[in-house]
Amino acid sequence: MNMKEFIAKPAKPAPSSAVGPVAWMRENLFSSILNTACTVVFVAFLVSIIPALFDWFFWSANFAGATQAACVGDGACWVFTKAWFQQLMYGSYTDGELWRVNICVISLFAVIYAATKLPKDYRNKIAIPLFLVLPFIWIIILNGKLLGLEHVSTDYWGGFALNVLMAAASIIVAFPLSFLWALGRRSEMPFARTVCVILIEFFRGVPVLALFFMGSVMLPLFFPEGTNVDKLIRVWIVLILFMSGYMAEVFRGGFQAIPQGQYEAADSIGLSYWQKNLLIILPQNIKISMPNILATFIMLFKNTTFLLIIGIFEILSTTQAALTNSNWLGGHSTEGYVFVALLFWICCFSMSMISNSIERKLETSHRN
Amino acid sequence: MTINNQATKQKIEKGENIIVIEDMNKWYGNFHVLKDINLTVKKGERIVVCGPSGSGKSTMIRCINRLEVFQQGSLIVNGVPMIDDVKNIESIRREVGMVFQHFNLFPHLTILENLTLGPIWVQKKPKEEAEATAMKYLERVKIPDQALKFPGQLSGGQQQRVAIARSLCMAPEIMLFDEPTSALDPEMIKEVLDVMIELADEEGMTMICVTHEMGFAKTVADRVIFMDGGEIVEENTPHEFFDKPETDRLQLFLSQII
Repeated sequence: MNMKEFIAKPAKPAPSSAVGPVAWMRENLFSSILNTACTVVFVAFLVSIIPALFDWFFWSANFAGATQAACVGDGACWVFTKAWFQQLMYGSYTDGELWRVNICVISLFAVIYAATKLPKDYRNKIAIPLFLVLPFIWIIILNGKLLGLEHVSTDYWGGFALNVLMAAASIIVAFPLSFLWALGRRSEMPFARTVCVILIEFFRGVPVLALFFMGSVMLPLFFPEGTNVDKLIRVWIVLILFMSGYMAEVFRGGFQAIPQGQYEAADSIGLSYWQKNLLIILPQNIKISMPNILATFIMLFKNTTFLLIIGIFEILSTTQAALTNSNWLGGHSTEGYVFVALLFWICCFSMSMISNSIERKLETSHRN
Repeated sequence: MTINNQATKQKIEKGENIIVIEDMNKWYGNFHVLKDINLTVKKGERIVVCGPSGSGKSTMIRCINRLEVFQQGSLIVNGVPMIDDVKNIESIRREVGMVFQHFNLFPHLTILENLTLGPIWVQKKPKEEAEATAMKYLERVKIPDQALKFPGQLSGGQQQRVAIARSLCMAPEIMLFDEPTSALDPEMIKEVLDVMIELADEEGMTMICVTHEMGFAKTVADRVIFMDGGEIVEENTPHEFFDKPETDRLQLFLSQII
């Protein structure tokens, strides 16, 4: 008997009612009466607010000049942020030495860029160790004593650069530390587990402001007599521990999402405890936890503005100093805070982008 | 055969006892999962374990490489007693390969990296040598062209063959298969079974396989074991096992699956 041959049908292109901009708008903006009403109201809202905003930001704003006298009209006085730009960005860091701060910030972005672009083999061997030494390199460069440069005491470090570097330096150390804490919390050894649970719950449970006060006032009591640990270093330690508490719980969620079979497969191959956790579990955990890691990091980054309370000249303190300067009295706070908000927003949004790119990089499969 | 408490590896000849389980008992909380298990496996023997679900067959073979811990009895694998000592556990795991129902490939690593991970990190082999061995085994399971893909890009049957190759790369003395075809589409079961049959024929590998593939049991097994309620109810050659079951329980089981 002759067998009938099976030929699969070729795929046809989708009809024009299913793709294209008109179809998109019909589906997303005008699909129902309620949807249409929302669209109209929202568009009307944008139309009413955008011209005024643009007017304040650009058309009526004052850009030229160097003193308060240059500001006329109703628009924003960007002369203010221009005049105080160096203070806002670098604090009171010594004038001729600003290039050192720039190098630190640039090195951070260079390493982040390298970590997302390098091929996998080099990424692990170069980018990760580089990350871990970065905070210490920054301290050496900014301090300058060891390099034979002019010594700049931490009292003069400040501005937005301090916010950025402080947040980055904290997360870099908190990352491995929190993974260890999370591992310890899952450990079968009662001692390790208890210690880690206490650490995590303490640093997660106490408000970060209270921690800062403890760091600047109480912590010195625990150091041996005569040692004088710099205030900035103490705050750094507090931020690291605070961050680690949160991140450890993020990692714990990641651990629980990894199928038991992964641990069993690693065991059956004969990998040791550390090999299993670093080679098999950590990479999968980071992939799962990436959105939450980023959320925690953004929170920490924004929390660096709390440093103003204990008298460190991060960007909010310098903004306040500028606003109360006798030459600039008279209501530039909107400009000042909008500028700060924009800076933070740009940084946080870029971090979202970076995290998305890392997620895509780690994405190999949803299937087990 | 001499037994010492050290994790020193001994050469066990074909036909000698490679796995000795004596009076093994295991509980999950108060639930008695394994009851007085006694089983001796000779080197080169191929054993199929079957039984209804919940009968303890998976638990038993998972005890052999200590994915499960048993509370009473003794277990000697390849001359090394299974005790709490990390050295013994690591030494046993190096000699025992395992294939899982759900493959358990590492999704963040390529196929080649999945295969070379153990040889590089556990056996400390140079990367080139490990990759050459890996490619050899990928050819054996007939998917060398997939080496640079990720597990998620492969079909279930291909993934399971990769999992078998991953175990083989560690050059184990014993292979454990825990329902290797249960999670596969019908069309893919055969490609995995073929690889397993080939392995049994060519290598003379000691194999313990938990499976419901009775055709596989008939062609490959030296011995078939039937478990129910945490006990070994019957063990026999495939011929006797299928044609002359001794207990009514096995008879009922066979009548239901064939």
